[in-house]
Amino acid sequence: MTQPIVAIRNVCLDYGGFRALDGVSLDVNVGSRIVICGPSGSGKSTLLRCVNGLEPFQSGEVFVDGVGVRTCKDLPKLRLGVGMVFQHFELYPHLSVLDNVTLAPMKAKGLSRREAEEKARHYLDRVGILDQADKFPARLSGGQQQRAAIARALTLEPKVMMFDEPTSALDPEMIGEVLKVMRDLARDGMTMLVVTHEMGFAREVADEIVFMDKGRIVEHSGVSAFFAAPKTARAREFLDRILLKI
Amino acid sequence: MRYEFRWGMLLEQPYFTWIVDAIATTLHLALLSWILALAIGIAVGVMRNTPSRALRFAGALYVEIFRNVPLLLQLFLWLYVFPELLPKHWQLYWNRLDDAPYWTAVIGLSLFTAARIAEQIRSAILAIPPGQFKAALSTGLTPFQMYRYVIVPYAVRIIIPAITSEFLTIFKNTALALTIGVAEISSVARKIEAWSFKGIEAYTVASATYVCTTIAVIVLMGWVEKRAYIPGLIKREKSDA
Repeated sequence: MTQPIVAIRNVCLDYGGFRALDGVSLDVNVGSRIVICGPSGSGKSTLLRCVNGLEPFQSGEVFVDGVGVRTCKDLPKLRLGVGMVFQHFELYPHLSVLDNVTLAPMKAKGLSRREAEEKARHYLDRVGILDQADKFPARLSGGQQQRAAIARALTLEPKVMMFDEPTSALDPEMIGEVLKVMRDLARDGMTMLVVTHEMGFAREVADEIVFMDKGRIVEHSGVSAFFAAPKTARAREFLDRILLKI
Repeated sequence: MRYEFRWGMLLEQPYFTWIVDAIATTLHLALLSWILALAIGIAVGVMRNTPSRALRFAGALYVEIFRNVPLLLQLFLWLYVFPELLPKHWQLYWNRLDDAPYWTAVIGLSLFTAARIAEQIRSAILAIPPGQFKAALSTGLTPFQMYRYVIVPYAVRIIIPAITSEFLTIFKNTALALTIGVAEISSVARKIEAWSFKGIEAYTVASATYVCTTIAVIVLMGWVEKRAYIPGLIKREKSDA
C-alpha cells in the first residue's frame, strides 16, 4: 500500500480555550477526492489551514508527502506541494492576472519569467480565462477570479489541491463554471481536499465524504453510503437541512 | 518710511549664487531624506505587524521616540549629543567632516519622517485582508517575499495620498535645518536680508521655492497615483467597471 500524500494524525487546536480541532485524523491517498462538509464553525477550513502550516496547532501532526508540518524547517517548500484555493479568491489586486499566476513560480520555485509565463498561460487556458490574462483581478467576474486563483495554485504543479469553500462567495450562475473546472481536475486524477456545501458536486465527484462537527470528524464514509444513509443523527440532520433547505 | 523694492538685486552677486546653491541644497536634502525615510518607514511599519514580539516592540519603540520629540530638538540632539556618543576615532572623523550639519539634517529629517511613514504603512497593512497573507504564503513564498511582492506594494498603493502629504512636509521641514547651520533656502533668505536689508525680496524667493517644489511634488504624485492605481480599489469607479 502506498503512503498517503497527506496524513493528518490526531490534530488538536485550541484558540484560547475554544477547541477548534479535537483530535482529527484523516488520510488522503494519491488520486482520492475527499469532500469535507459540516456546519459553520465545525473546523473544516481550520483543518485545511493546518495541512499547509498556515495555522499552528498544539498537538498531533500532519504529514505532507512524509514531511511533518510542525517540525518542518522549510514550510515554503512544503507549501509548493499543496495548492490552496480560498473562498474570497485572494488574488493580488495590484497585479495583472498573469502576474498573479507567475509570481510564485518565479520567486518561490525559481523559474525564469519565460518558463513561468508559458506554464501560466497553459493553466489559464485550462481554466478557460487565457483571454483575461492581462486584466486586473477587479475587472473579472467572481467566477473568472476564482478560476484565476485555481490557475495560480495549479501553475505550481502541486501534489494535492485544497479548496476552501471555493463557490461560497459566488453568484449561482458562476458556481457552475468553477465547479466545471474542479470536475475536470478530478477527472485528470488530481488529489483533492474540498470543503464545500455543494452536495451535488460532492455526490458526483468525491469518493469519500468527511462530516465534521465541533472540531471532530463525526462521520467518514464513501459517497453513496453517506448520502443513502448517514450513520449519525447529526449528519442526517445536516443533510436534511442542506438538501431540503428546511 | 517707505520700503523700496529692488527685485533686481536677487540677480546680483553674491546673492544669485547663494540662492541657486541654497535651492539645490534644499532639494537634495529633502529628496535624500525622503528616500531614506521611505525605506526606513516601510521597514519599521512592516516590523510592527510581524508575529515576532521583539520586532514589534522595537518598531513601536522607534515610532514613539521619533514622533514624540519635536523635530527641532531632534536636530539639536543629532548635532550636539550624538557625536559625543560615538567612539573616539569616529568622533574625530565626524567633527572634521565639512558638511556635518548637512548630514545631521539628513539623519534627523529622515528618521523623524520615517516614524510617521511607518505608522501609515502599519495602518495600511492592517487594512489588507488577512486572506492575502495566507494566499501568498500558500503559494510557497517566504514571509520576506510575501512582504516584498504582495503586502508592501499593496500597502503603499493604499496610502499614496497620505505619503504625498509627508513628501510635502519633508520639503517644508528642511527649513528647520537653518538652526543647525545648513545653507538651505530659508537660512540664505535670512542671510540676504541681513546683508542687504531686502527682506521682502529674499523671503519671497524662499516662499516661492517651497511653493513651486511642493506643487511639482503634487503633480508628480498625482501621476504616480494614477499609474499605481489598483482597478477596483480606493478610488470610486466610474461607470466603466
